[in-house]
Amino acid sequence: MKLKSLLSVLAAGLAMGVLAYLVKMTQTVDGALHEERLVNLRTVNNLDVELNRGFTQNRASSLTVANSDRAKISKDIGAALDRLDKGTHSLRGLSPQLDAALDRFLTTIDDKFGLGFDFEIRNTQFTQRLVTSMDAVPGHASTLLALVGPEQLEPVSLMVAQLKTEIVTLGVSPSPSNVESIQQLLAKLRATGEGQNDAYREALGALIASAEYALADKNELVSTLNNFLNEPTGEQLQAVESAYTDWYQSQAAIANQYRLYLAAFSVLLLLGLAWLGMRLRRSYAELDRANTGLEEQVQTRTKDLQGALTNLRESQAQLVQSEKMASLGQMVAGVAHEINTPLGYARSNSETICTLLPKIRTLCLAQDRALHLLTTDSSSEQEVAQAVSAAAAQRENTHAEELLGDIDTLLQDSNHGLMQIGDLVASLKDFSRVDRSRTDLFDVNTGIESALKICNNQLKGRIEVQRLFGELPEIECSPSQLNQVFLNLFTNAAQAISGEGLITIVTSADADGVTVRVRDTGSGMSEEVRQRIFEPFFTTKSVGMGTGLGLSIVFRIIEDHGGRISVQSQLDEGSEFTIRLPLRQPRTETLLAA
Amino acid sequence: MSTAAAVKPRVLFVDDEPRVLTSMRIMFRDHYELFFAEGGQQALDLLKTTRVDVIVSDQRMPNMTGVELLQAAREINPHAMRILLTGYSDLKSVIGSVNHAEIFRFVNKPWSNEVLSSTVANAAAAARASAAASVQPAKASPASTTGAPSPGVLVLDDDPTMPSRIQTILGNDFRVFGARTMDEAVGQLEREHIGVVISDTRVQDHPVVTLIGTLKQHHPELVSVILTARADAGAAIDLINQGQIYRLITKPIQDVACRITVNSAQKQHQRLAQSQELHQRYEVEKPAATDIAPPSTLKLMDRIRSLRNWVTGRV
Repeated sequence: MKLKSLLSVLAAGLAMGVLAYLVKMTQTVDGALHEERLVNLRTVNNLDVELNRGFTQNRASSLTVANSDRAKISKDIGAALDRLDKGTHSLRGLSPQLDAALDRFLTTIDDKFGLGFDFEIRNTQFTQRLVTSMDAVPGHASTLLALVGPEQLEPVSLMVAQLKTEIVTLGVSPSPSNVESIQQLLAKLRATGEGQNDAYREALGALIASAEYALADKNELVSTLNNFLNEPTGEQLQAVESAYTDWYQSQAAIANQYRLYLAAFSVLLLLGLAWLGMRLRRSYAELDRANTGLEEQVQTRTKDLQGALTNLRESQAQLVQSEKMASLGQMVAGVAHEINTPLGYARSNSETICTLLPKIRTLCLAQDRALHLLTTDSSSEQEVAQAVSAAAAQRENTHAEELLGDIDTLLQDSNHGLMQIGDLVASLKDFSRVDRSRTDLFDVNTGIESALKICNNQLKGRIEVQRLFGELPEIECSPSQLNQVFLNLFTNAAQAISGEGLITIVTSADADGVTVRVRDTGSGMSEEVRQRIFEPFFTTKSVGMGTGLGLSIVFRIIEDHGGRISVQSQLDEGSEFTIRLPLRQPRTETLLAA
Repeated sequence: MSTAAAVKPRVLFVDDEPRVLTSMRIMFRDHYELFFAEGGQQALDLLKTTRVDVIVSDQRMPNMTGVELLQAAREINPHAMRILLTGYSDLKSVIGSVNHAEIFRFVNKPWSNEVLSSTVANAAAAARASAAASVQPAKASPASTTGAPSPGVLVLDDDPTMPSRIQTILGNDFRVFGARTMDEAVGQLEREHIGVVISDTRVQDHPVVTLIGTLKQHHPELVSVILTARADAGAAIDLINQGQIYRLITKPIQDVACRITVNSAQKQHQRLAQSQELHQRYEVEKPAATDIAPPSTLKLMDRIRSLRNWVTGRV
């Protein structure tokens, strides 16, 4: 039972654990985090694009403004990159592919920053040099125009003016498309130097050189910017994003799988619960049925028990009755012997006297005849002499004195015996109280005396009885029952004493009632026996010698009287029973039927 | 008493009531030499120094019961006849008086002087006769102990399995014969040489006391053992007084006790068969006039008186 309940608790715990695990596994995909991560990626992308735009448009705005814009963008990008790399929203450590893509992207963007930085420095240098070169172009152009012949002034000045425009266009355009036209222009200008004086050629050379410087610088600047712009941050960020999306999708797939498991498990759990519910319902139904059955069972059992109780009461009453009969038998045996002995000698004596009387009668008659003849004048001498000698012979034969003495003794004994029988019958009557009502006012001392007389047969010659009787008020009780109690106690005491001994009976009274102590010098009893002495059927006598009900009946009689009985005992020294009886009976009490 | 013996028989009376002793003294003083004791111990002390012929004892006395006294007296002086005079007898003391004290009679208080006188007289005569026998050497003993097969045991019981049970208990020591009616019993006695009769108190609802008594009267060497589950004190006393039963044992049978009892009964039978003088010790009381047997039983009694087997057995 215990193991079963332990197992079910374990199963429930296991089910809850599995449920919690599955729920946790479905929670691995955090939608908000995912959104933030995506936003972060977009931010980085946007900033990157903006940075590119910043670089490409720098010439449209003033340098300082462009610079400060870029610095701000760089800072934002740095922060966004940090968020990508570290912290709660980082993409780091989610999957190896993502890590690799991220690393690649970060390296690239680092390079890009480097290029950007490089570009800015070069941009400044280039811008200055371009400005210088461009500034030098008009000077050199005017110098050249001053030196040019008038036939050539128009085309040269046209070319120079075109060059100046082209150079300005070069300088302004972020990705100049006029490099070839400038070079063609320069080639034409160079062609104009043929046949010109040195000064012109020198001036032309300076103009072409400055224009070429400007071209070269611009070319370098453009290539640097292109390098910068060509860094594949966009693609790589795309790769990162796609790697992240892959990871996210795989995570989502796993989570979905777990969701499926969860659903399946939930269905299982629900099925289990439903089964349990069914079972519970069935159990309740059974319980209901059992309850109704139980009530019937309880009723039949109660009836059985009542029957058994009635039987028990009946058999107890029978046992008490048989115990009473047994003790009655014992009492009758004692009393029969007590009565038959005096009756025996009284009868024998009267029979003996009957056999003795004829002798006396013969003597009397002889003497009477002799006396009569002596005192009668008409009698003859011979008659008188015969009668006197006959009387004398009778007298000689009879030993009248002795005979009469015997008869006296026999009659006295018979009288004594008859009185003894009378006494016994009287105490039997006293003892049984057949002539009294069941509850009566009664002197306990009288009851003790009559009980002593009844069991005298067991006491006489062997056990001395010491009576320490106090003055007692008459108490309300059932005298016959109390006498039974005393007889039982005295009989027990006498049986406890194996040889000669002493029974001391002390009675005393106080305001509430009467106390009787019966002490014997018998064998006593052990503590174990003492505790059980009032139990029904407990006996220390051998089988057949006592039913073991005697003292339990004593106990009941005293209890029914509202009294108490206790016993103290010392092994081999004797026992003392103490009975305490109240003066009056409570009105409601019904006494044990005698 | 017409016995012209110079010495009067000696009778000891034991009773804790001195007035009983007084009555006895006045009643018996002319014919007997009387001794008195007021208790068991006093009686035993007296028995050690004085040889008496009859002991009459009360049963209920302080410290020692009459049965206990008579049992001890039997040890001291087996020759004295023992009579129990008692006011009340429970079954236990009656059984004890048979089995342990081997008493001659039970006399109830109050007693009739006539009955008590004749009982004491019979006891005294038996004591005297057996005393004389014990003085003379037993002349017949060597002849009868050898040769003849040992006498059998007759079991008289309603229960047909009882004879075979007894045979099992006794083993091969004695032959056991069964009888379920008195008629059958007499038939067996006529045919077989029987020494011991084991009987219930009643057979086919008839008390066996008359049968046992008549058997004992006419064939004193027959020894009877009563084996019963329904003994009562009155019936047991009748069986002692009128049947001189040797032992009374109660069912259920205890094997060892039963074997010992039957062995001892067989020895008793041998003693009685050898010495006719002893018969008087086991003389029975005539059944009371009220116990007149029905006519069929009277015929049975006639057969008992002329049991052929006894005639042959006695030769």
